[in-house]
Amino acid sequence: MKVLIIEDNQELARNIREFLGREGYICESSETLEEAREKLALFQYDCILLDIGLPDGSGISLLNFIRNEHKDSNVLIISAKNALDDKIIGLEKGADDYITKPFHLAELHARIRAVYRRKNLGGASIVEFNEISLNTDTFEARINDSLLDTTPKEFDLLLYFIVNKNRVLSRQAIAAHLWGDYTDNLANFDFVYQHVKNLRRKISNAGGMDYISTVYGLGYKFNSRTQ
Amino acid sequence: MLVVLLIGGAIVYHEIQAKISGVEVVRHQRLNDLIADQIRQGGDYRDHPTRKRATITVIPADSVPRGVSSYFTRGIDWNPEFQRDEFKLMVTSFYVIDGRHYRITTYSFIPSFYELLPGVVDSFKWILLVLLVVVIISSGLISKYILAPFKRTMRVIQSFDLKRREPIRLSSTRTSEFMELNQFLKKMTEKAQEDYQSLKEFTENASHELQTPTAIIRGKLDLLMESEIRDEQAILIAEMQNALERLSRIHSSLTLLTKLENNEYVAKEPVNISNVVRETLNAFDELIEMKSLELDVHIEKGIYVPLHAALADLLVTNLVSNSIRHNAPAGRASGAGVDAGGFIRVNLSREGLVVVNTGREPQVPAAELFERFKKGNAAGDSIGIGLAIVRQICELSGFDIIYEYRDGLHGLAVSFLPRVPASKLLQNLLVPLHS
Repeated sequence: MKVLIIEDNQELARNIREFLGREGYICESSETLEEAREKLALFQYDCILLDIGLPDGSGISLLNFIRNEHKDSNVLIISAKNALDDKIIGLEKGADDYITKPFHLAELHARIRAVYRRKNLGGASIVEFNEISLNTDTFEARINDSLLDTTPKEFDLLLYFIVNKNRVLSRQAIAAHLWGDYTDNLANFDFVYQHVKNLRRKISNAGGMDYISTVYGLGYKFNSRTQ
Repeated sequence: MLVVLLIGGAIVYHEIQAKISGVEVVRHQRLNDLIADQIRQGGDYRDHPTRKRATITVIPADSVPRGVSSYFTRGIDWNPEFQRDEFKLMVTSFYVIDGRHYRITTYSFIPSFYELLPGVVDSFKWILLVLLVVVIISSGLISKYILAPFKRTMRVIQSFDLKRREPIRLSSTRTSEFMELNQFLKKMTEKAQEDYQSLKEFTENASHELQTPTAIIRGKLDLLMESEIRDEQAILIAEMQNALERLSRIHSSLTLLTKLENNEYVAKEPVNISNVVRETLNAFDELIEMKSLELDVHIEKGIYVPLHAALADLLVTNLVSNSIRHNAPAGRASGAGVDAGGFIRVNLSREGLVVVNTGREPQVPAAELFERFKKGNAAGDSIGIGLAIVRQICELSGFDIIYEYRDGLHGLAVSFLPRVPASKLLQNLLVPLHS
C-alpha cells in the first residue's frame, strides 16, 4: 500500500513512516500543502494522511483537490484540534475518517486498514488469518468455519490484534481503541485484561491456536509465528 | 420632598398670618380714621357699629408717642363672645382733633396659629398629591424621551454576543453623556472581543502545540516497545505510557472545559436523550457485566432536550462511566444481612436523568466533587475532571444538578426543567435495589 503523509512535524511523520514501513507500506511524506500538491499531481496513493494545521494553510483546503483528482485514495484526517467543526467539515468534504492527536500508531494503522477495507475491497469485508476469519460487516468471527461466539468488543479486539499482528499493543492503546478517547476515566486495564482473557479462552475452546501472548509489563501481542 | 414641604408650610403659614394681620391692621386703621372723622363732625355715634370694639380716650399731649401715628399689638386674649381665649389684634391710632389728643383703639379676633395650621396642612396634602402625580407622569414621559438613546444602547448590549465577531452598532445621540457611554461601551466590547479571540486562539494553539509532541512521544514509545527490551525497561516504558495517557487526558479535558466555558457548543436542535442513554448503556454493557453490576433502568421514550448532541453524549457517558468506575458493592447495608451486590439505577423521565449507584463514601464534601481535580476517593486512575465537565454542561444548558450520598448509595440527578429541582428527582430513587 502506498501512503502519503502530509504532516508538518517531521518527528511525527517519521514515527508514522517507521511504523507503517514495518507493515511493508511504501510511505512518502510532505511537510507543506505545496509539496503535497506536487506529489499528488505526479503519483497515486492508496491512502493520504492529512494534517489540518499546516504551515501554508489548512489541510481542509486540499480535500477538494484530492477528491477531484484522486477519487480512489482514502483520506484520513489527522488533527490536534479535536474541534467538532474540523471533524464535521472534514468528513463532509470527503475525508474517510478522522483521528485526533495524540494517537497510538497501532490505532492509526487499524483505521487505515478499516477505510481501505471499506473502499478498496469492494464489499469483500473478510479479514482472514490462518484459521481465523472475521467478517467486518456482520461482526462474525469464525475459527475453521465454526462460528465464534464473541461480544462486539471482543470482535473489535480480535480484529485490532490481527491488523496489528506481531506488534506489542499496550493496554492504553487497546483501551483507547475499545472505548474511545473521551471515555475519560475508563482506561481501566482490568477490563482490557478481562477482554483479552475471554477472547483467548473462546478461541482455544473453538479449537483455534493461542496466538495472543502477554508482553511483560507492557501489554499483549498477536504472534503470527507461534512457537 | 418632605423637608421642602415642611419649610414651604412654615413659610406659607407665616405669610398667611402676616397678610391677615396686615389686612386687619389696615382695616382697623381705616376704622380708627372713620371714628376720628365722626368725632370731628360731632354728633352721637355711641351706638354706631363703628364703636362696637372701639375705645376712645383723650390723652394729654405729652403721652402721644413721637413719630408714630399708629401701632398694633397681637396676642392671645379673652373673647367674651365665644367665652374663650383667642388671637386678638389691637390697632391704636392717635389723632389731634380740635386741639385735643385722642387715642383710638380698635381690636378684632383673627384666626390663630392653631386654627390656620389644619388648613395649611390640608392644602399642602393636596399640593403634595398633585405634585406627586405630575412628577410621576412627567418623569415617565421625560425618561421615555430623554432615556430613549440609553435604552437603545441597553438593548444592543443585551444582545451582544462575544462569540460573534461583529462589533456592536450603537445609534447616535446628541446627549454628551450618552455619547461618552456609547464610546466607552464600544471600546470595552471591542476589547472583550479581542481578548476572547486571542484566548480562543491560544487555547487552540496550545492544544495543537501540546498534542503534537505528546503524539510524537507516544509514537516513539510504541516503536520502542517493539524493539528488543529487557523486563525492567518494559516496566519503565509502561510507566511512561501511563503518565502520557494521563497527560493527554488532562489536556483534552481541560481544552474541552475551556470550549464549554467559551460557549462553543450551542444546541441547534433538541437531541433525543432517550436514545443517547440507551446507546451509552449498550456501549458499557460489557463493563457492567464484568463488574457483575445489576442494572435497574427506566427510560421514557422520545424525550428531547435542548442540548448539543456531542454534549448530551458527554454528559451521559461521564455519568454512566462514573457510576461504573466508582461502584463498589453496598456491603451489608440492605436487607437480610446478605451481601448485596453493586448496582446501577438509571432513570430517565421528562423531568430529568437520575443515576444512582452503590459505592464507598466519598472522602471530600459533596459540593467539592464538582470542582476540577477533586476525587471522591484516591482509587483508580481518574483525573477528577469528569464531574466538572458534567457540571459545566448543566450550567450551560440551565439544568439543575445535585449529588447526594446516603447509606452506601451515590445519587446524581440532572433536572431538565427549571421548575423541577434536581433534589426532588432524587428523592424516591436513592434507595437500595430490593427494598
